[in-house]
Amino acid sequence: MTSVLLTKNLTRYYGELCAVRDMHIDVGNEIFGLLGPNGSGKTTTVLMLTTLLTPTSGTASVCGLDTVKYPRKVREKISYVPQDMAVDIRLTGRENVRLYAELYGISRPKDRTDEVIGILDLEDRADDFVKAYSGGMRRRLELAQALVHDPEVLFLDEPTVGLDVSARKKIWEYIRTLKKRGMSIFVTTHYMDEADRNCDRVAFMDRGSVKTCDTPAALKKLIDGDIIVASVEGTLPPVRLDGVKVISQNEEEITFLVKDRKNAGDYIGQEIQSLGATLNSISIRKPTLDDVFLHLVGDIEDTSPINMTSYRNMLGRRR
Amino acid sequence: MNAIIIYCLRDLVRWIRGKWGFISSLIAPAAWLIFVGMALPIKFTDNYLAFITPGILVMTILSASMQGGALLIMDKILGFYNKFMALPPPRESILFGKILVITIRGIIQSSIILGLAFLLGVPVYSPVQIIAVYLILILFGGLLSSVTTTIAVLIGEHDSYAAVTAMITMPLFFASSAMMPYSSMPGWLVIPASLNPLSIAIDSIRAVSEGMFPGSRLFILVIITVVMISVNVKLFRNVKL
Repeated sequence: MTSVLLTKNLTRYYGELCAVRDMHIDVGNEIFGLLGPNGSGKTTTVLMLTTLLTPTSGTASVCGLDTVKYPRKVREKISYVPQDMAVDIRLTGRENVRLYAELYGISRPKDRTDEVIGILDLEDRADDFVKAYSGGMRRRLELAQALVHDPEVLFLDEPTVGLDVSARKKIWEYIRTLKKRGMSIFVTTHYMDEADRNCDRVAFMDRGSVKTCDTPAALKKLIDGDIIVASVEGTLPPVRLDGVKVISQNEEEITFLVKDRKNAGDYIGQEIQSLGATLNSISIRKPTLDDVFLHLVGDIEDTSPINMTSYRNMLGRRR
Repeated sequence: MNAIIIYCLRDLVRWIRGKWGFISSLIAPAAWLIFVGMALPIKFTDNYLAFITPGILVMTILSASMQGGALLIMDKILGFYNKFMALPPPRESILFGKILVITIRGIIQSSIILGLAFLLGVPVYSPVQIIAVYLILILFGGLLSSVTTTIAVLIGEHDSYAAVTAMITMPLFFASSAMMPYSSMPGWLVIPASLNPLSIAIDSIRAVSEGMFPGSRLFILVIITVVMISVNVKLFRNVKL
């Protein structure tokens, strides 16, 4: 597999705060998902890969071109769709796409505009003002804008955030279509289930570091067994059961990992009731990427006291 | 097509389609022309309207530039910046596109004001005079729009930008030769007024309307504009996202 994206020791500090630490990733022609909670450094990574931010140390290259040495050449090969949707509401869909076709300086901008509008199925509404577009359509329009110059790598930062379920599905369908057309796609998301269904490989990121990187199927194999979720009412001490691992516990829900699903539900249910709590429901399922993430990273919620100076730094820099 | 022109056209289309921004920016200078130019009991000249017209033209450019700086901030707030910066054209073309569109907006508005002034009784300028007036206005528009975009880059936030521009617009206008000649000003005002870049533009247009060529003033205006634009570009290159 030839590398489309390659980072070595990629690091970025914002003042004292380390947003990305020592990142090594090697992305080929695939849909690559960078997963992690909000504030884990995903966007900072994308900004560095798209030449918008200079790394504090380490290197990143896109199609073999160093992002610091050849920013302009890199920008000709990529497209970047940021998290915040930005389309001109006083322009029509077609005009919005045409703008990018002109800015990329491609030949025959008009024909290419029509073509990408076709790929994203926006013909019907192409001449309406974007003001009247739904969130999902605006996102598709942004994808169309990103396609005009036929980039080799497409960067999508949280492409489905804020969209309804059917719009999300549709966006992913288009992303997979683009992959089939030969594009490499680098996507960040905190929706693990979407990444599971759509990404060829994923990397887990937490507090600036990549914890692991593999195919979703291989990652799910890291968890040997099944997941049982018990929904409970009443106060319970920290639960400890023989032969069962407690993954997480809060007032409403306890999540267990069992090696053998046979009779496990009944056993857990009885034990909980014997501890004096009411059992509302119990469910058994296969491990998901969420579980793998919890398993590898620990609790997503950062329980250490907030260091106010670094917190303010974070807010200040994120504006 | 050049990226600067493309960015400029984008803003121009959005502005014209917005209608209200276009209309509102014409009302203030037209009101000045009519209510001050035609109503103030002035002794030093028998055609005050003709005297004040250069001041109102420059004022129109001033308010167009003040509104224009906000375009840069809105693009930043709404996330257009991130997208534009990831495109191949150089970063500065975003800035030059803004300077160009703000200047064009100012010129369109001041043309309407100039036409209105002629209708209201200002002696019509000769074609050569009109060309000279336009050159001065374009130069001044370039200067002011690079000033306001610099302020926008430095402040980077919409409410504060609006506050700052509201704060400087009025004093800048009144401390200029827009309303009265230096000979009618109180002594303390003469020096600040003659150093005011607004006065330099106003005096140049006035000289042109009286059939003179304001060579040295234009030279000063060109120098300030070039300095301002280079400062602007330098700041813009280092701007944080």
